Amino acid sequence: MEKRIYALLLASILFVATGCSKFVDYDPHEDFQITSEDYLKTPDDYRKMAIGTYSPLQWLYANPVIGDVASDNSVTGGENATDVIGLQQIDDYQVNPVNFYLTEAWRSCYEGINRANYLHENKVRLDFAGKDALYGEVYFLRAYYYFELIRMFGDVPLFTEKRLTASDSRKFQRAPKADVYKQIEADLTEAIRMLPVVNVQKGRITRPAAQALLGKALLYQNKFDAAAAMLENVVNGPFSLVTKFGDLFLQAGENGPESVFEIQYSNVSPFYDWSNPGRGQGNLAVQMCGVRNLGGTSPYASGWSINLPTKELAASYAAGDTRKDATILNIEAYKNANPAMNITYLVAPYRNTGLYNHKYHPRKGETSGQIELNWLNNYRTIRYADVLLMAAEAFNRAASPNDAKAQGYLNRVRQRAFGDNLHNVTATGAALRQAIWDERRLELAMEGDRFFDLVRTGQAAAKITGFKVGRNEVFPIPQQEVDISGLNQNPGY
Amino acid sequence: MRIPIYRGQVLLVLLFGILSAQAQLRQVAGTVSDPSGKPLGEASVRVVGGRTGTSTDASGRFTITVGPEDRFLAATSVGYESAQLPVAQETLHFVLQPSATILEDVVVVGYGVQRFTRVSGAISTVKGAEIEKLKPVRAEDALQGRAAGVTVVSTGSPGVKPTVLIRGIPSYTGTDPVVVVDGSIQTLDDLNSINPADIESMNVLKDAAATAIYGVKGGNGVIVVTTKSGRRNQKTEFSYSGNYAMQEVLNQVGVLNATEYASILNEGSMVSGGKLAFENIAALGVGTDWQSQIFKRSPMQTHTVSARGGSDRVSYFLSGGYLTQEGIVGGGDKSYFNRLNGTANLVFDLTSKLKFTSNTTYTNIRNSGIPENAINSVISNALNFDPTVPVLNNFPGTYGAYSTSPRILSEIVNPLTQLQDSYNQGLTNKLYGKLELQYEPMKDLKLTSRFGYTNADVSGKAFTPLSYYGAAHINSTLYADGTPRPGAHNNVYEYRTQYFNYTFENFAGYHKTVGGKGALDLVAGFSMAKVTGSNLSGSRQDVPFNSWAFADISSATGIATTNGLDVGSYQYERRNLSYFGRADYDHDGRYLASATLRRDGSYAFGANNKFADFFSGSLGWVVSNEQFFKAKGIDLLKLRGSWGVTGNENVNPQYQRISTLLYAYNVGQNAGYTFGNEPTSVGATIASFRNDDLKWEKQAQLNGGLDLRFAKDKLSLSADYFRRDISGLLFTPTLSLYLGTAALPVANIGTTRTTGYEVTLGYTDKFGKDFRISTNLTYTHADNLVTETNNGLINGGGYGIPSQSVTRFEKGFAPGYFFGYKTDGLFQNAADIAKHAAQPGAQPGDIRFVDVNGDGVINSDDRTQIGNPFPDFTMGWSLSIEYRGFDLSSFLYASVGNDVYRAYERNLAMTNKFRSVLGRWTGVGSTNDANTPRYTFIDANNNTRASDRYVEDGSFIKWKNLQLGYTLPSQGLSRLGIGRLRLYVQARNLITLTQYTGFDPEISGGIFDTGLDRGAYPQARSYAVGLDLKF
Repeated sequence: MEKRIYALLLASILFVATGCSKFVDYDPHEDFQITSEDYLKTPDDYRKMAIGTYSPLQWLYANPVIGDVASDNSVTGGENATDVIGLQQIDDYQVNPVNFYLTEAWRSCYEGINRANYLHENKVRLDFAGKDALYGEVYFLRAYYYFELIRMFGDVPLFTEKRLTASDSRKFQRAPKADVYKQIEADLTEAIRMLPVVNVQKGRITRPAAQALLGKALLYQNKFDAAAAMLENVVNGPFSLVTKFGDLFLQAGENGPESVFEIQYSNVSPFYDWSNPGRGQGNLAVQMCGVRNLGGTSPYASGWSINLPTKELAASYAAGDTRKDATILNIEAYKNANPAMNITYLVAPYRNTGLYNHKYHPRKGETSGQIELNWLNNYRTIRYADVLLMAAEAFNRAASPNDAKAQGYLNRVRQRAFGDNLHNVTATGAALRQAIWDERRLELAMEGDRFFDLVRTGQAAAKITGFKVGRNEVFPIPQQEVDISGLNQNPGY
Repeated sequence: MRIPIYRGQVLLVLLFGILSAQAQLRQVAGTVSDPSGKPLGEASVRVVGGRTGTSTDASGRFTITVGPEDRFLAATSVGYESAQLPVAQETLHFVLQPSATILEDVVVVGYGVQRFTRVSGAISTVKGAEIEKLKPVRAEDALQGRAAGVTVVSTGSPGVKPTVLIRGIPSYTGTDPVVVVDGSIQTLDDLNSINPADIESMNVLKDAAATAIYGVKGGNGVIVVTTKSGRRNQKTEFSYSGNYAMQEVLNQVGVLNATEYASILNEGSMVSGGKLAFENIAALGVGTDWQSQIFKRSPMQTHTVSARGGSDRVSYFLSGGYLTQEGIVGGGDKSYFNRLNGTANLVFDLTSKLKFTSNTTYTNIRNSGIPENAINSVISNALNFDPTVPVLNNFPGTYGAYSTSPRILSEIVNPLTQLQDSYNQGLTNKLYGKLELQYEPMKDLKLTSRFGYTNADVSGKAFTPLSYYGAAHINSTLYADGTPRPGAHNNVYEYRTQYFNYTFENFAGYHKTVGGKGALDLVAGFSMAKVTGSNLSGSRQDVPFNSWAFADISSATGIATTNGLDVGSYQYERRNLSYFGRADYDHDGRYLASATLRRDGSYAFGANNKFADFFSGSLGWVVSNEQFFKAKGIDLLKLRGSWGVTGNENVNPQYQRISTLLYAYNVGQNAGYTFGNEPTSVGATIASFRNDDLKWEKQAQLNGGLDLRFAKDKLSLSADYFRRDISGLLFTPTLSLYLGTAALPVANIGTTRTTGYEVTLGYTDKFGKDFRISTNLTYTHADNLVTETNNGLINGGGYGIPSQSVTRFEKGFAPGYFFGYKTDGLFQNAADIAKHAAQPGAQPGDIRFVDVNGDGVINSDDRTQIGNPFPDFTMGWSLSIEYRGFDLSSFLYASVGNDVYRAYERNLAMTNKFRSVLGRWTGVGSTNDANTPRYTFIDANNNTRASDRYVEDGSFIKWKNLQLGYTLPSQGLSRLGIGRLRLYVQARNLITLTQYTGFDPEISGGIFDTGLDRGAYPQARSYAVGLDLKF
């Protein structure tokens, strides 16, 4: 009996001790995990990856807010001086390298670039119908992310070959702006070649979108001749100005005839993650813009009284300009004009101007789930009026200016704004240029381009209190990137 | 049960007169031997219930004088179970069974037991008797201050795991030591399911010589828990012990009362150019003290019954325990820990050579918690909430029992509303134990096959009701009239987690005498371990009546996957395969040598590094056994030294994962996009990276120590010095931001070094017949240093909104040190500001931050080390005095040099302030204390940035335990059939001496959270009465 147990024990020891080294092997499939070895085997995998490349666009919700609060268009406001501190510091020109919004913009753009690069590095693995158009979108997105980076931070690390892995940490230093622009131009040129003029799916990137972005990038480099030629393609493209300016910013106005490129937001997949509030399908910037504790039967919903237009912006609209009321909501005036709505609200507790961003003000019924995080409002990134004004500026500033064309494009925008031809601009040369720049502010106020336009056109120091030439043209590189990657900080930070 | 009666009569006889008894005395002789017939010298033989006693000579013989009423004799010997025999015959032969578990001088090591005098590694022991005295909720609390080299930072939250560090902080990935219960490997988390009253001893294996046999599991040290077992050939001993305690909070934190709050808000608002926040301050009075509203006096009670005994072939230990602890925050409705245990430890001699052991414990735990140690914790809300509003809602027709604040409109809420709306419960059913066969085919060879297992079902639910925190509060989901806001729903979440872990070990032990004087012990074997678990969870919205009573998925009507209320599941598995061996050689009790080897394979590691080898060696020299050693009064002098390598595998397998989720919560990864008005398109992205080279974290440890006993064993001293060098440290590094947001892989990065020493000093003596004293002092010191991080640093625990990171893991510093700005008083005037390095936004009265790098600008480069949450040293002092029936025991614990970061101050304009603000800067020369800058709503200088302003010295001395007991004289009790009855009163955490201004300077957590007080659950002071009964 005992001998048998002994033998059994010995046998089992030998069996287990010799035959079981596989016991410690690991296969991710045990945990039902998909790995990169399982993926990019069907066209659908590629299409999904391309959609994933769009996602970080949505995370850039705060960029338009930054573009206005950093300018003379708006103040940060909020609940108090420490509410949304990163935006307050940008507004007050006390920005430092530890800034949530800037870090988030940096990381999100680079995540987008890495996602695009992953598709780029796997481009040759599979061929399928529609692959070219798909890659056109991917290269557009990479260019968009780099463009956002360059205009916010100046020189930035540049890499295009592959998705970086952990071992690539600290390998890159900042590349000169010129090199990054060169890559942006190359990507967009490739995208223009690949993309269709119209995409059936609304919000998908099209050839004119790539042309418009390339035109914008050329304009930012003062390459006016090239910009004029490129933008002319879009001017002659399948777009038109919406008759009623205010309609542009309603839900019904999304992806409309004036839309060249819009970052899509939606409330159909509600999001709840307060630890990463901007990473869902909703537009958090809309929540920021709202009047506080708004009650009554108006179409508007409550928000956080952030990004409040300045009175100076309101005053800069001429009488009869329909854009003023569509851009700026004067809540007290609105309340008095609509007594039947029984409007109640909390006066903005900090830096109140009495004015709110009407273009992106939250509207009832346009969110879901965690209401703050899921506003459906698309960000109108590039619209036809913007293209007309960019083209006007390019023609005006070209080596051999074409002011007639510039005037024509400018006046198309003004005619829509005033509903007549009485406000047409007839100036030429420098006066026309200034008129175009001023028009850009009026047309595109609260759409996030003002700060970058002021910097680009050299007007920033004159227009913005606290702006220091040689320092504030760009924002500081996130501290962690300076600490970890050893990047040089921008001067003055 | 009749024996005690005889015992009582003996005492009566003794009381009435010894002379009359002497007349009837007689002699009894006999022998004491072990089961193999080997005589046991120096065994103690005494009359049960009497005073007479003797000891055996070298050949195991004794003679003893007994009286006519003496009925039983007992024999005891170190290392053996005691035995009793009736005094019926003239000659008695005691056969003592070797003790399977620890007795006085035996320590339990990996895969074996060693006598203390033969140990050459570093091991600390805490005995069951001490644990029984403390009566902790969790067993590891008994290690605090009692086991040198072990640092325990306790928490006040009922049943929650404390921070346990064995010899400092080796690793960032986890510092929990492995826990071995009766030979089967468990985790520190599992220790909450053991009834401390069932523990016979806890041995802490500290140096590589002791831990290398556990290889990759042993890196953070090993706690070997041995539970009680039966005693062979003994009548059944029944025991009961009960303890009832009342717990209360130690202190309150000074916050402003209503009048003070209103005036400081007025000042802040005026300074910022606003209008008065309060027009009429005078009417406010002191307002509401929210702390006194949330802290409750709460009871805790424990009851344990056990039976212990055995026949000649079976021994048993049976125990049942019940513990219920209600929390002092919010009381027993919201915060509690209830534990029910049943244990059966059985040993059967199947044949003379084959022994079967079955240890089985069933545990049932019910618990509930409240939000704690975060900015949204109940305590944080109590500290920061508006003191001007009353406790109860006094607005008729508005929703809710408790008041709301018209001023605080975000984040901070009425703590009573929060408590009321906290609904959760957890239920754990766990079965663990071991099945073991031990076979002795020949003398000195033992084969053991052991299957240790833990099976647990954990389930729970949480209910988030619709809440009303005020009409304008952004977190309100109800309107004032109690109707839901648009889109607002309540929800219920339920989960079930099942896990099963086993360790299957087979090993052989061989003992051989070499050349007469040498003794060789060999152990060799292999082990397979598997950890598996799976979870299923789900949630729904629209619970009927917004009520906890109906909070269940089956009654909630809203299926809302689009609202994030989805089903989810996960599973995990972990496998290890190990081979191990150890040789111990003892030459003549003078020279000791030991060598250990272990080869470990782990599932978690990269394909290129599946297996690794660990080894250790140790030498010991018992100087006092040398011929030449003549030092008088020294009973034992042993020198020890060891070196070896162990590991750590606190990591999951790394692979390049593709995520096709719309969102990955908390990771911030999403891969969806919504074109136009279509449903969201599902995308895909790379969500993590792989690392095939991932391998062990290797820890090389050097140890030198000595053990000394002198003055007839009355005084003892153990001292150890150690140095641990850890390489290939496992951690997720902070890498370049431009890598994007995919989860970074854990990698073998960095090295740390820990050096330290520990001392245990003991004194035991007896004065006269009745007075006994025993005292112990332990001292633990460890210096931790990160010596290399190769690839960056780690930012750790954050606090506040937005979160500021305040702890770091960085080369050249202690792990988890506090990182921030240094302050240097306050700017008194504009001239001060002009003289100082450029500090944007500064005005007179603002904090002057130190320009650490001297570049003339105060910016983030000036952040530096501002504190260290881990103590320089800890000490424990225990004292036990017995006099006649009385016994007094006391335990003091001191932790010196641990800093605490005060992170519970919310600092919003309208939240309540702390009393220090009353000493704020109000003008030139009013104060220069950086803790009290001027008060303003607009803090352009960012006075609230992470700085040493919030760092306090958390050194403390705690009187952890004071107990006074009285054991009733047995003569009266014996008539009731009671063997022993002891009554006692006990106070825990009676006094805390500290300069820390928060609740409790003991803030437990991981490396990055220890010492970071976000409103941590403080430990309670408790007063208890109890009784121990044996019959």
